[in-house]
Amino acid sequence: MIESVILWFLAILTAPFFSAVILKIKAFFGGKKGPPLLINYYTLIKLFKKGSVYSHSTTLVFKLGPIISLSTAVVVLLFLPIAGHAPVFSFKGDILFLLYVMGLGRFFTIAAAMDTASPFEGMGAAREAYFPIICEAAMFMILIFFYRLTGELQLSAYFAGENTMALWNTAGAPLLFIVISFFIILLTENSRVPVDDPATHLELTMIHEGIVLDHSGPDFALIELGSFCKLFFYSTLISRLILPFSSEISGLGFCLYIAGLFIVYIGVGVTESVIARYRMDKVPQFVLTSFALAFFATIISMEFIK
Amino acid sequence: MSQFFMAILIVFFGGISALVLARQAKLMRIVAVLSLSAGCLFGVIDTGIKLMAGGSFTASFAFLKVFSLAFQIDGLSAFFLCAIFVVSLMATIYSYDYMGHEKSWIRVAGNYFFFSILIASMALVVTSANIITFMISWEIMSLSSFFLVIYNYESDENRKAGYLYFIFSHVGAMFIFVAFALVYAHSGHFGFEGFGALPEPTKYLVFIFSFIGFGSKAGIFPFHVWLPHAHPAAPSHISAVMSGVMIKTGVYGILKVYSLLGFNTPVFGYIVLSVGVISGILGVVYALGQQDLKRLLAYSSVENIGIIFIGLGIGMIGVSTGNSLMAVLGFSGGFLHILNHSIFKSLLFMGAGMVLHRTGTRSIDALGGLLKNMKITGTTFVIGTLAISGLPPFNGFVSEFFIYLGAFKGVILGKTDLVMSIVAIIGLAVIGGLALATFTKVVGVVFQGEPRTKAAQNVTEKGGSMLFSMAVLAAGCLFIGVYPCILIRLPMTAVSALGLDFGSVPLEPFYQMTGHITQAAVLLIAVILIVAILRSLSYKGKVVGKSGTWGCGFTQPTVKMQYTGSSYAGSILEFFSAAAPLEEDHPEIKGRFPLKTYYKSRIHDIAEFHMDRAIVRPVLSFFDKLRWIQHGDIHLYIGYILLAIVLLLFFV
Repeated sequence: MIESVILWFLAILTAPFFSAVILKIKAFFGGKKGPPLLINYYTLIKLFKKGSVYSHSTTLVFKLGPIISLSTAVVVLLFLPIAGHAPVFSFKGDILFLLYVMGLGRFFTIAAAMDTASPFEGMGAAREAYFPIICEAAMFMILIFFYRLTGELQLSAYFAGENTMALWNTAGAPLLFIVISFFIILLTENSRVPVDDPATHLELTMIHEGIVLDHSGPDFALIELGSFCKLFFYSTLISRLILPFSSEISGLGFCLYIAGLFIVYIGVGVTESVIARYRMDKVPQFVLTSFALAFFATIISMEFIK
Repeated sequence: MSQFFMAILIVFFGGISALVLARQAKLMRIVAVLSLSAGCLFGVIDTGIKLMAGGSFTASFAFLKVFSLAFQIDGLSAFFLCAIFVVSLMATIYSYDYMGHEKSWIRVAGNYFFFSILIASMALVVTSANIITFMISWEIMSLSSFFLVIYNYESDENRKAGYLYFIFSHVGAMFIFVAFALVYAHSGHFGFEGFGALPEPTKYLVFIFSFIGFGSKAGIFPFHVWLPHAHPAAPSHISAVMSGVMIKTGVYGILKVYSLLGFNTPVFGYIVLSVGVISGILGVVYALGQQDLKRLLAYSSVENIGIIFIGLGIGMIGVSTGNSLMAVLGFSGGFLHILNHSIFKSLLFMGAGMVLHRTGTRSIDALGGLLKNMKITGTTFVIGTLAISGLPPFNGFVSEFFIYLGAFKGVILGKTDLVMSIVAIIGLAVIGGLALATFTKVVGVVFQGEPRTKAAQNVTEKGGSMLFSMAVLAAGCLFIGVYPCILIRLPMTAVSALGLDFGSVPLEPFYQMTGHITQAAVLLIAVILIVAILRSLSYKGKVVGKSGTWGCGFTQPTVKMQYTGSSYAGSILEFFSAAAPLEEDHPEIKGRFPLKTYYKSRIHDIAEFHMDRAIVRPVLSFFDKLRWIQHGDIHLYIGYILLAIVLLLFFV
């Protein structure tokens, strides 16, 4: 239990670091030196030192937005089996709760954006409401797949201890589909290229950056930290899926997990460097691919668990 | 049982006294509201006591020596009674201030009179214990609500809505009549026992006819067409009752027939489930496309009825496969959603009523920024939207959680059951996402941002009784969301009253699940509080400024540049354009000095569109050809009657 709490704490603490890895990779591809690996911490500290400016149009909801988007990300991490360890909290059906808690975070992010009366933020909010619908369908398709394999509806039943390895042993081939599907969901939910461009400065093209335009100071820091945590959550899941090994030697399993995380973050960085952002109306097709993959995985798995 | 009739009589007395005291407008309102709410409160308490005691209560009266009026309260009806009385109670309290602005006293009196009849008849529908009693109560319910819908009868649109509702409820009733007539033809008496003794093929017929009949009241796709017309026409507290509980009597009817038939075929489950998924998804897609606040809420009722049907369908599949846990999860999830929906939907209608009352418009794109001066209305409305989007820690999540768990139980079954479960799960997920989009649109465009027109400027909230009702209902949403364990008994008793043949279901796993939900909800709230405290600490001693919204370098922004509800929903609706075709109307902008232009858009409801083309027009043209029969001469009409009787004598 204490171990799990420490891991949870470490997750929140190191999430900004890993996000900086993506920046480094992108800089490498661009032939640049890139910002230091601790850049996100500097940014957070800088933001926390500042004050804020609020728009006349905003209400309390605007201030609730950052609070709830960080809280939901932190709560989600509480239920996440980090490095194969048991999570801090877990119960039957917890993954449904988590998906809807993330929905709560999204609700308030959108509501905070609509609060500003800015057309750019309205545009971003509409997209933020749209793409996750398909993501959610894909996520539930993946859950159906996992449920058929394990009969459980709990994150720890898939990602803790030996369970991930057991998944590979029962249905390795379709699980490959699931990994790709998860990766697409990660890109979409965390507003990465090719769905969204986190680095862009043209407001019309962005989703997540667009809806946080008016946040500043500590409020903006909370949002940033929340999105680092969210990316960390999805990366952990994929990391466990691609390196499902656990080892007797203490620390080795943990190292493998970290290695997996690096692979995921580097993967995100490489994807961002080699692919251009899709036109907005092409995005749904891209996200639907993840649903299709999960669906085919489920169909194929029927052969495996007769 | 006498306590129950007592409650009904008190409610009815309120309606009569409104008519008697009609000329003293204020006194009438006080007496009517007091009496109606006293009756409802009495009803709630009585039902609560009956639920605790368990078992069933019956009463029957011989009527004109022809047939008997029989009533019975068991777990199922007690469950619906609770919802009916609670929502009616809150709506009655709300109506005190809502009706206060009405100038015409006779109209207010009429409204209270029909309202009391509606409450009483709904209560009688769910307690009826034979076919005749049921149909009488059902018809009284339909008629009284018809008069409530045409409250503002001067407007053409409202009269049209009223007629549409009238036709739908009566065509629906015809289907129910057919179903019941089939039963009567076999059993020869009006008792409900006749259902179980039918031969199997007839059972299918009876189920399908009553499904269509009751479904048109419940508002399932494609029989929902009356809902989006009738709800905006009725006064808001009536919409709250109609959408919150009256349409649920349709669900009750289907459940009653299902349990009476006692026929565990998977086909019923498949029908109910697939209709549920279709209603759910299309309901919320149409809701997203609406520009009228109350129409949007009406379509969202179609969606929630869909969710309820998904739950019940899962339950029926569970019964047919002998998977008792799946059955109970599906049914109790569906039941709980009936209760939850009645709470948050009436809350939302009341909020919409307040907005309509103060701004005078229902058009979403004409509003904006209401949260600033309407703190209580805005906050309770936001809570309602969170609950209806199924987000924790509010009550909508609890029922969807149960339905999901039940549906996942079906994933390990084979073939059709597997496909059905997948459809249910993905359907629920898509509905959840779309509901979030729909209600962020409502909150974002109506309550946030800047006022888009004059109507929405400097609007304040007024009316203590309206605010009180909304606050109570919002508190209910949060309370059930955090402590569902207190209420879980209610749907469980209702499920056991369905008389499914797997004996008593162990409550233990359900208490465990609700316990988990409580823990998780408390955890979530605790984390939010901690983060909020940390945030306020980090702002200590900082400079906090106020300024205009960042216009990305643009210096002359106007409120017209805000994103509107239509633009917010646009891209999602494009994805569903096959089911929700968009009709646009805007002249091309030409020349160097273009004239004033406009843009109109409208989402077509395909059910309404095709029903008009395939049924309404052919029927109209057919009857046009028979118009010569309607001669206008009374003697000829008497002749028709005589002829009809003589002809009938040959056959009967």
